Amino acid sequence: MTEAVVQQEQAEPAQAAVRRAAAEDPPRAPLPEASGPSRRRRDGLLAFGFLSPTLLVFSVFILFPILFSLYLSFSQWNMFGGESTFVGLDNYARMFGDAEFWSVLAHTGVYTLGTVPVNMALALGAAFYLNTRVIGKRFLRAAFFTPVVISAVAAAVVWRWVFDPNLGLANYALEAIGFGAVNWSNSPAAAMVALIIVGVWKSFGINMVLFAAGLAGIPKHYYEAASIDGANGWQQFWHITVPLLAPTTLFVLVISIIGSFQVFDIVFVLTSGGPLGATKVLVFYLYEHAFKYFDMGYASAVAYVLFAILFALTLVQVRAFRGRGVRGI
Amino acid sequence: MTKPVLRALASALLAVLLLAALPGCGSGSASNDGRTTVVFWHSLVNSTIPALDELLARFEEEHPDIRIQAQYIPSGDALVQKLITSVRSNTAPDISWIHADYLEELVRADAIFPMEHFIGGEDGLADSVIADIYPSLLQYSSWRGQLYSLPMEATNLGLLYNKDLFREAGLDPEQPPRTWDELLSYSERLTIDRNGDGRNEQIGFITPIYPASSPNGPWMVWQWIPFLWQGGGYLVNEEQTRVLFAEEPGVRALTLWKELYDRQNQGTFSNEFMTAFISKQTAMMLDGPWSIPNYPRLLGNMDWGIAPLPAGPERRATISGGEYLAIFKQSQNPDAAWTFVKWMMDPEIQAFWSMKSGYLPVRASVLDVPEYQDYLDENPALRAFVEQMADAGTQRPLDYEQLAIQRAIARAIERATVGGEDPRAVLEAAAAESNRLLDAADRGEDAPEPLAER
Repeated sequence: MTEAVVQQEQAEPAQAAVRRAAAEDPPRAPLPEASGPSRRRRDGLLAFGFLSPTLLVFSVFILFPILFSLYLSFSQWNMFGGESTFVGLDNYARMFGDAEFWSVLAHTGVYTLGTVPVNMALALGAAFYLNTRVIGKRFLRAAFFTPVVISAVAAAVVWRWVFDPNLGLANYALEAIGFGAVNWSNSPAAAMVALIIVGVWKSFGINMVLFAAGLAGIPKHYYEAASIDGANGWQQFWHITVPLLAPTTLFVLVISIIGSFQVFDIVFVLTSGGPLGATKVLVFYLYEHAFKYFDMGYASAVAYVLFAILFALTLVQVRAFRGRGVRGI
Repeated sequence: MTKPVLRALASALLAVLLLAALPGCGSGSASNDGRTTVVFWHSLVNSTIPALDELLARFEEEHPDIRIQAQYIPSGDALVQKLITSVRSNTAPDISWIHADYLEELVRADAIFPMEHFIGGEDGLADSVIADIYPSLLQYSSWRGQLYSLPMEATNLGLLYNKDLFREAGLDPEQPPRTWDELLSYSERLTIDRNGDGRNEQIGFITPIYPASSPNGPWMVWQWIPFLWQGGGYLVNEEQTRVLFAEEPGVRALTLWKELYDRQNQGTFSNEFMTAFISKQTAMMLDGPWSIPNYPRLLGNMDWGIAPLPAGPERRATISGGEYLAIFKQSQNPDAAWTFVKWMMDPEIQAFWSMKSGYLPVRASVLDVPEYQDYLDENPALRAFVEQMADAGTQRPLDYEQLAIQRAIARAIERATVGGEDPRAVLEAAAAESNRLLDAADRGEDAPEPLAER
């Protein structure tokens, strides 16, 4: 009884304080509507306002060049002076009739076939290995990732010296183990191999990180359940890891193929498209036509053909992966 | 921190950043402390910059109302691309180095002044001055007979050789090869396979072969052309309608290169020629005077010498190169720019610049400047180059499609050497492609008379 009285006595000053506060505060304006179309529009405008700097940069530096390039691919323009002249499908026709274009496409295909499987296998292997209990895990992970962050040009310059037939470390090592020197500079096949080695070295680190993330997303109890059921390592890999890794694998495959079709910087520094044009890839061909022959229209057409190829390849891959994977795309 | 404070801080930061960006705007040729600024683009390498600074300091001393703002642009591709983008965006420099390769494009884009505008003006140059400039340089400064640039410095191509290796092989180090036959026989004597594994550790003469698609493709062609002339050939006929490099002289010149390449088994070498020379893997290579300042540092104790290019079956010849100054029409101060260009043509200044930079003078009368003769006595290597300028006779550069034809020749050279193909066949393929290009080239109105060949 006394407690209730005490509480009431304590409550009263509080209630009085609230009433006083309500009376003293200036009358507020009526609250805006908490929901409804005008609120959404206001939010929308606000969001647009915040996005506008990025949108502006995007439009000027990315969207406009993409559209202008499409227009250029139907014209002829040498960029030094004068206007562009509309030539319709001439550039595309010339491209498909150019023997060099097809051989360049073949070289790019060979490069892709050489780098992508090796890259992905190495990356998955490294991710797997580093997923287990290994000494120096963090150091190894950083070491494998370092090539990705190194400047491609700087790395390619060093690799050029490594592959120098007379003065390079590669031949020095090969001769030391009794294999015999390889003519990296002047043999078309060896030059392509050198390029593939540098290409794989440069980019497998990032695929490793992606695979590691994918592997980490597979619940451990699946493996425990499988080993209780008597599955060995290989069966676990094939029936648990591969299907559950499918989304990651698709992503890595797509970006690896896109990246290998777009290779340019290491080609330019390592082999400059030689010997005898044996390592000339699609983007190098594009660069030549744009900045050595000053034929901007043709180069733009090549760029759009590259886009079309990659788009088609990506569609094919996404379709192929539809069936696999527990969670789907 | 409270929200209002954060907000205030953010706005202040934004304001500071915006203000900091402002000085970046503004035109290039704005007047600076009362003096007229002339923007000068060049590709002088690091080791020559101190010499350039001295040159510009001397100019500014003699012309206190003009300030030269020199900017380095890497040569070759980078320079062309910067020129293109700057001309298109109306930010062209006042003066820039240019190359004959794309002189045609610059003229068609109406980007540069014809030199006659200045030479024939009030503060012009006398005919005798123009006559004194080496004719080969004027040919590269012109397009269709009209001068569009003036040479700032000259270079040509000579033979750099290792006297120590000559002695080891039993050859007289003071008798470098003087003919094609001697070049072949010397290179064979200087080619050594020490351990009998079929790969030569040392070769006599390293032929400057680059992949045709590399940035050095044109450089390789530039070094082959003197051999074409030595065989009595020309790149193109006088009317600039048909290429002539696939005729007998061209075939002979390319066969020489092919034989050098094949007999010495040069296929096992990369194209790091200077490194091979420094490492004593080759006894001879082609080089120009621009490297001379670097030799003490690079070659150390090596006893090296410079010889004129060996003479071919028909005559002696070397190719002259150099850097050419053009004045851009977008310049705000073309007359100040011309003051600099004109000043560079003075024999005293040419002597000064040659002594400081290692480049060759562009005028014959520089040889009459006494300090220059003394300097040549102290630097016999440079003398060899300077005296070769007289051999850099009529060169008849291409007026049309120079870049494309160079590429065709580069591919032919690579195919004959690295690719092992027949020189005649590859040259004829290149000539066919070049003639097609010449047929399709836009010649505009009738071509004026080519510069008289002296």
